[in-house]
Amino acid sequence: MTAVPLRRRRAPSLPVAWRRPAALAGALVLLAWVVVALIVPLLPLEDPLRQSVGAAFQAPSAAHLFGTDQLGRDVLSRTLWGVRSSLPLAVALVAGSLVIGSVLGALAGYLGGVVDEVIMRVADLVFAFPTIILAMVVAAALGPSLVNAVIALLIVSWPNYARVMRALVLGARGQEYVIAGRLLGAGPLTSLRRDVLPNVSAPMLVLAMLDFGNQILLLAGLSFLGLGAVPPTPEWGSMVADGVVQFSSWWLATFPGLAIFSVVVAFNLIGDSLRDALDPRTAGAVQGSSI
Amino acid sequence: MHHISKRASALTASAAALALILSGCSAGGSGGGQQASANKTLVVDNTFDLKTSDPARAFELTGSIVDKALYETALTFEGSDVTKPVPQLTTYSMSDDDKTITLTLDGKHVFSSGNPVTIDDIVWSYKRVQGIAGNPSFLLSNLSTGKPFTIEKTSDTTMTISDTVANPALPYILPNPSLGVLDSKTLEENGGTTDKDDKAESYLNGKSAGSGPYQLSSYNATSKVVFVKNPEYTGTAPKYGRVVLQNVTGPSQKTDVQGGQAQLALNLNSQQVNGLESGSIKVAKTTSANVGYLWLNQNEQVSGGVTNDPDFVKAVRHAIDYEALRTVAGSGSTQPGGIVPSQFLGALESDENNTTDAAAAKSDLASSGYAEQTVTLSYPTDATLDGVSFADMAQSVQSNLQDAGITVKLNGLPIATLLDSFRAGKLQAGLMYWGPDFPDPSDYLTFSPGEGLGLRAGWTESMSPEVTKAKEAAIAAEGDARAAAYQAWQKASNADGAFVPLVQAARYAVTNGVTGVTPNAIWTVDLASIE
Repeated sequence: MTAVPLRRRRAPSLPVAWRRPAALAGALVLLAWVVVALIVPLLPLEDPLRQSVGAAFQAPSAAHLFGTDQLGRDVLSRTLWGVRSSLPLAVALVAGSLVIGSVLGALAGYLGGVVDEVIMRVADLVFAFPTIILAMVVAAALGPSLVNAVIALLIVSWPNYARVMRALVLGARGQEYVIAGRLLGAGPLTSLRRDVLPNVSAPMLVLAMLDFGNQILLLAGLSFLGLGAVPPTPEWGSMVADGVVQFSSWWLATFPGLAIFSVVVAFNLIGDSLRDALDPRTAGAVQGSSI
Repeated sequence: MHHISKRASALTASAAALALILSGCSAGGSGGGQQASANKTLVVDNTFDLKTSDPARAFELTGSIVDKALYETALTFEGSDVTKPVPQLTTYSMSDDDKTITLTLDGKHVFSSGNPVTIDDIVWSYKRVQGIAGNPSFLLSNLSTGKPFTIEKTSDTTMTISDTVANPALPYILPNPSLGVLDSKTLEENGGTTDKDDKAESYLNGKSAGSGPYQLSSYNATSKVVFVKNPEYTGTAPKYGRVVLQNVTGPSQKTDVQGGQAQLALNLNSQQVNGLESGSIKVAKTTSANVGYLWLNQNEQVSGGVTNDPDFVKAVRHAIDYEALRTVAGSGSTQPGGIVPSQFLGALESDENNTTDAAAAKSDLASSGYAEQTVTLSYPTDATLDGVSFADMAQSVQSNLQDAGITVKLNGLPIATLLDSFRAGKLQAGLMYWGPDFPDPSDYLTFSPGEGLGLRAGWTESMSPEVTKAKEAAIAAEGDARAAAYQAWQKASNADGAFVPLVQAARYAVTNGVTGVTPNAIWTVDLASIE
């Protein structure tokens, strides 16, 4: 296989990604949520925390487009404010696991030996448990809060990145241009940073994009189980949980549920298109990592 | 479009026809006259928490409904009134020192096997409750000393139950369906003993051995329990010859009772009963005996110097919007005046210390030493107050206190974790509930300074001598003076105490075409009284 410097390929192909209608739709939905997150305090909405128990369980109407919840709070306002809990934390979570997983995976793949053994056995340990169960255990031990939920998910999600990274680095390490660099006097860390990492970053980016939706779901899931957001914070997962016990008031769970759905789908559309456009070999590389 | 609307109208028509047929069925069930209904089946929907039908082992809501139908008790309560024990198998008298209750058999009752109910059966059944040491065994021991009651046969028609200390609550304990009297001869033939070797549970889960209005026809702890009339029953024969108690979730209970497939639904919430009443469908509201309360820790180390400040406590009492809490808890819910539930002897109707008064809250807070500290309010996330979420109540209280200028942070915990920390007295403030062990105010003395619950809130005897004095007066009171003494104790606690009684949630019994449903705080409903 010849090494194709990816930088040259990436430049023209990124715009190609946005030309795909699915990616564009996803990006627009996401952009809309980002805008909402930024300007929601300026919108003419009711205070998402203002209770009015006399007006609880009102069906959607002109006064309350998404109805009111069990404490008479405006569901539209809470749904829009909810993006402020979900999006930034999902970004922090994915960025965190990307960095931690990549660094550990790259070290394991490049250095090999004992370092590889230790890192990958710890990863195996995490893999041995179902993600959500382990996250629940950690979150329950740390106590309910959104930040603790993020920490719990960080602990369970970095090994994914580490495994893929390790496989990619293992593949790149033997490439002639890397060997050439080493022969010209580059130290292991310089070689890793300058020759290896740039050539494996694309599949990692795709992996991160596809992981976003997953992480948002997991975060909402922990809140749904009462291990994430602390009331009265408007958060989609806990709003859905409130709605589930009030079956007859369908609007309680429907609107925050649709919000989660829209963000997850948006991230997946972007991730899919990025993968197709950015690096046709990614699918193979990701699969190869599981060997 | 035309095509669709035609189909839609055809659907509507057939749905209407189906509804007519179904309502015809239910009308037949109820309007068929008393003679016809003797052979009719009554269907009752309940969300099961059933573990066993063995009274000595059952202490769940569904278990109490089942055991109430199958077994009789020495004493009982009439309808919904749990303030006055009345004779069932026996009459009773209390000794002058209130330590001993003497039961005298009336000799008229017969088990479904045909054996007469004897004093030996009652003694055997009570000793079995103590010996098996199952969930209800605490009923026959003193809650504060932990010592089991002494149960003795004194003649062929009399027996005594004695406590080591004065215990005026004895007659209030005996009506519990877990103290149902079993046919000891039949049970001994089927593995029954009065100690831990007892093996009669599986027998009792297949056949009953009681003198109650019904006997067990079939039993499945996860799906349904079927009762048929006990031909030997000596009381007023129940109207329905057969009763099916089935495990159904809330939303399905609603459609069942609307469609007439069930005549009684026991687990609908306030949202579900909203607008349900029409035609033959009636909604009976009662108040649950579970009291939701707020505690404020009085221990200096735990209170952060905030929640032990008497003026701060007063401010909280006046800042809470009790009406909002009642709205959250559903229509039919009540604010008890004290910690004793509204339907019990000695209940306090209201107390000016626990009233919503924003101005008083502001001035009390101003005269307290409160300086913007954050108060952590804990609550259970996986338990409800009769279906009302503690998270909702906590958020309501948080918003009330914040309006008064008090910063509150919510701390939802699984109930097991919460109880661990609460029992250790480590939580600054929080919401919990107390379900009665038996309907007597003495069960609530634990909410006194220096007692079990009081100490959980860091409330020691030296902090409130007035309350301790009132508690001692309540213990010493006898007969008709007890109610007033317990009310005085609660007034004292409301004036200077760690607990704020908040709300008793509503319970709903939805009927379609039947009457005679009298909700009861101990056994939910007596199936035999339904007509």
